[in-house]
Amino acid sequence: MKWASLVLSAALLAYPLLLPDPFYLDVGLSFLLVALSASAWNIVGGYAGQVSVGHGMFFGVGAYAPLLVFNLWGAPPVAGVPLGIIISLILAVGVGTPTFRLQGHYFSMATIAVAELIRILVGTWPLVGAAIGLQGPAVGRAWWDLTFRSELPYYYLFLAVLALLLLITQQVERSRFGYYLRAIKSGERAARSLGVPVQRTKLYALMLSAVFTSLAGSLYAIKTGFVDPESGFGLLISVQMVIIAALGGAGTLYGPLVGALVLIPLQTATNDWLGGGGTGLTYILYGGIIVLLARFEPGGLHELWYAVAPKLKRRLQRKERPHAA
Amino acid sequence: MLLEATNISKAFGDFQAVAGADLRVEEGEIVGLIGPNGAGKSTFFNCLAGDLTPTTGRVSFAGAELTHVSAEAHARAGIGRTFQVPATFEDMTVFENVMVGAFLRHSRRDDARDRTLSVLDMTGLQQFADQPARRLGTPGRKRLEIARVLATEPRLMLLDEALAGLTPAEIQQAIALVRAIHASGVTLVIVEHIMEVIMTLAVRVVVFNHGRVIARGKPEEVVRDQAVIEAYLGRRHRADAR
Amino acid sequence: MLLAQVIVGGLLLGAIYALFSAGLTLIWGMMNFINFAHGEFVMLGMYFALLTVLWVHGGPAVFTLAAALLLFLAGVVVYFALVRHVLRGPMLAQILSTFGLALLLRYTAFWIFSANVVSLPQTSLSGVVNLGGIFMPLPHLVAGLAAAALTLALHVLLTRTSIGSRLLAVAEDRRAAMLMGIRPDRMQAIAWGLAAGSAGLAGALMATAYPWSPSVGETFVLTAFVVVTLGGFGSVLGAMLAGLIIGIIQALSAFYLGAIYKDVVVYALFVALLWFRPQGLMGKA
Repeated sequence: MKWASLVLSAALLAYPLLLPDPFYLDVGLSFLLVALSASAWNIVGGYAGQVSVGHGMFFGVGAYAPLLVFNLWGAPPVAGVPLGIIISLILAVGVGTPTFRLQGHYFSMATIAVAELIRILVGTWPLVGAAIGLQGPAVGRAWWDLTFRSELPYYYLFLAVLALLLLITQQVERSRFGYYLRAIKSGERAARSLGVPVQRTKLYALMLSAVFTSLAGSLYAIKTGFVDPESGFGLLISVQMVIIAALGGAGTLYGPLVGALVLIPLQTATNDWLGGGGTGLTYILYGGIIVLLARFEPGGLHELWYAVAPKLKRRLQRKERPHAA
Repeated sequence: MLLEATNISKAFGDFQAVAGADLRVEEGEIVGLIGPNGAGKSTFFNCLAGDLTPTTGRVSFAGAELTHVSAEAHARAGIGRTFQVPATFEDMTVFENVMVGAFLRHSRRDDARDRTLSVLDMTGLQQFADQPARRLGTPGRKRLEIARVLATEPRLMLLDEALAGLTPAEIQQAIALVRAIHASGVTLVIVEHIMEVIMTLAVRVVVFNHGRVIARGKPEEVVRDQAVIEAYLGRRHRADAR
Repeated sequence: MLLAQVIVGGLLLGAIYALFSAGLTLIWGMMNFINFAHGEFVMLGMYFALLTVLWVHGGPAVFTLAAALLLFLAGVVVYFALVRHVLRGPMLAQILSTFGLALLLRYTAFWIFSANVVSLPQTSLSGVVNLGGIFMPLPHLVAGLAAAALTLALHVLLTRTSIGSRLLAVAEDRRAAMLMGIRPDRMQAIAWGLAAGSAGLAGALMATAYPWSPSVGETFVLTAFVVVTLGGFGSVLGAMLAGLIIGIIQALSAFYLGAIYKDVVVYALFVALLWFRPQGLMGKA
């Protein structure tokens, strides 16, 4: 699949130059952002099999931190990125430590509860903008405010971070940590019997995932210049991460990208057909897709491809030699 | 004394699965654990391996107290085990399964790879290396489990019915493998129902019934023990045997 | 006596929490499966009650029964169409199955009923009752007491009847139950029916006393999670006790901290439970 990744990289790099229209650039940015978030979720939800359905908490923290440091101290939003990461790490430890020593369900339940908890609290806390939210610098004071007039620089910034995450994920895949993650997903009891430190490994996966999810949130806030409880911590964020990774293939390197490639155009199209009031129907669509995935192909398109491809290959070969004895 | 389990009891609510069981294993031995179904062998095994914490009693291994320590720590200390129902990593290939084991003692991928290849060679699984574990039949899975545990370089291996369900030819192969493992310096405790295997491999046998140890000794002696015959066949048969 | 009033109000609502949480813990104890759509079952019970009133003009007895029966059916259908297939699969499929179902049900309800808050038209049960200085709206009192009685009835059903013992046998040991001639699949479907039915019943009862919208499902399922964790894995009695406790805690939080924070305290309690006593009141460590 080496050539496929080269083609993909070339396509992603060339995309804004080929389709410079602001509309397409926006779609491209959405794609990168959800691909990034979903790839981050993938580490703990896909590889380790610990299904977080409240990952929006890390995204939201990462989104609020830069705008918070700007609003409180006039600092450039970028300075808030490490703050977001640190708080996300603390959250990860707070949620993961008690739940990873229990059955898997507790972790999933805890992620929804904590994400909701934070969303409500943030919505009532004046310091972080309460229900109104926070805004970033209207006009850039210097280059480090990262307020670009065109969206093009953001595109390449997002792409760079996505590439970094995929590179790290690839390294993890080949390392002891990665093998241990997959062992945990495949069979915790057997993993333990082989000396895998299950709780600690799950926690590290959650922490790594939290860092990049937070980063995704920060990038979103810096680009958009605005965040509120719904856009930062809303359910849609958590749902999107899960469905995109699962649709493409949870636990595979390119799964989240494939999922984003399918879902972003789909979402853009349905939003167009249904106008602004499409968000409700988007959820119905997402819900339906998730149920179908769970029921018929939890491995997503990746699994589907590997199940169907050999049969297609055989059929093609037969067509080429119809008179073979 | 490599392994010393003293006065092990395990209760699940009102049900006493194991009561006052002792086991001592010297380095280099092969000890057999036999007994009818439900006698408490697997529960006892799980207490030795750290999967369960005994209600009372102590387990010590190479001088270290392991009674309340996690299953991971048991593995790190050098105790490896297989499962009665094979628990291979179905989504991963044979090679990857064994790698997980190899990574215990080798944190670097290349070193783990070397260990994995040598274990695959020893267990005769090299040709299946790239196959997903779920494509192996039960005998293949059992062998894979043994390979995987072997990769962790254990001093003591607990085999839980590793030869059940094999054809006679496969049993002979398995016996040869177990002998080879033993020859490489691993101490073994084997749970088995197949008497032929126990007689061939075990130097010493411990018999369980109703959670208690009812007999110990050489395989030939134990098989003739009245209590053991009773346990397997019931009182009536014992009377008929006279 | 305002405090006493708050507490009694909390107890009554807590009884309803206990009723729908009992179903969740039954499924969890029996199949080691968490239904993320459980809150939506409650929400659907509320809407079925409303529809029954609007179309059939039935009284409380009619619409609560209707909600219970319809949801019982829904539970069985969900089991056979979805749950049965994912039970033996990976964790991801198990969690996504009912999580996706929750989204589907919730937003379909939004689509059909819109986000407006609704309530049942006035029934014969209206007015305020004076219990020795404590003033309680009659619907709240009736709903709470009925929920308490029904939760108890569920517990009795599970522990004292033959069908209950068959359900528990499957929960305890599937294979042994099969050897005894019990069909685990059928029992599990019945359990799902009971769980959904009691959720629907709880919803119908709540509809008599409180207004709602399609968004309540999300809050209810989280409440159920806390109740079930506090009560202990698989314990219906535990869920009963825990439901009452959570009801009181929620009412007191609303009273002292403001309505916005009533759920926050419960969720925070959940996290604290996970840290310090995940087995809850009745569970084993």
